[in-house]
Amino acid sequence: MKLSIFFDRRAVGAALLLTASLSLGCGAAVRNPALERAKDVYNRARQDREVVARAAVALDRARLTLEQAERVWSAEKDVVEVEHLAFVAEKRVEIARATARRRQAADEIQQLNPQRD
Amino acid sequence: MSTVFGSNHLRQRRKAPFRRWLIPSLILLCAFENSSCSTGKPPTEILSKAELDLRAASEARADELAPMDLQSAREKLEASKRAMAAGRYEEARRLAEIAQVEAELAAAKAEAEITRRAADDLRRRIDTLRVDSERSSASEPSRAPAKE
Repeated sequence: MKLSIFFDRRAVGAALLLTASLSLGCGAAVRNPALERAKDVYNRARQDREVVARAAVALDRARLTLEQAERVWSAEKDVVEVEHLAFVAEKRVEIARATARRRQAADEIQQLNPQRD
Repeated sequence: MSTVFGSNHLRQRRKAPFRRWLIPSLILLCAFENSSCSTGKPPTEILSKAELDLRAASEARADELAPMDLQSAREKLEASKRAMAAGRYEEARRLAEIAQVEAELAAAKAEAEITRRAADDLRRRIDTLRVDSERSSASEPSRAPAKE
């Protein structure tokens, strides 16, 4: 009886160790699709010279949200929170693109104004 | 010896219900802490910020120029208020954050559209002025010899 209890404990201990090591080992490789998509959206905006030049602050806010999502993902693996932050980061990239469009049009107005005079 | 064994056995049996409930209680506690039901602080600050940004977006003519983003932001704000009333603060906080960022996006899109339309309008007027001045300068030399 005693032996079986000892065996059970060892088995449970081994199972726990295996689970912990597996989750630790896989942790680095596991990726969150929403976070990966948001990173992709952000990186594409980073390659757009108009967005970088005209909406640097807005783009930086997107980067900060992405970094927060990455921290939550690596520390807690909180899928709901990471998907939420990834969504917010994508919206922030969209805001940066809209800001760049507005500034581009405003610059155009400034260039056209002397011609009108 | 038998009495000692007996009392130990009795003590173990008394401890058993406690042990039986301890681990499930701990698991439940952890699950509750990690779930969205965990009670945090009510997200009043982000909720009022979302409301302000929604008002700003409406003032920037987002109703007309970015209606889908504005509508989505309004729906998220309402859902956030419902979650807040039900005490689901984490959900309310996330919904308010989405409402806020969507309202900001609606305003940014509306402002971009307004500025683009202004630039297009200015370009058209300049083109019209240029055509007019070209036309008048083309007609001037024909008048000049007539005067002489």
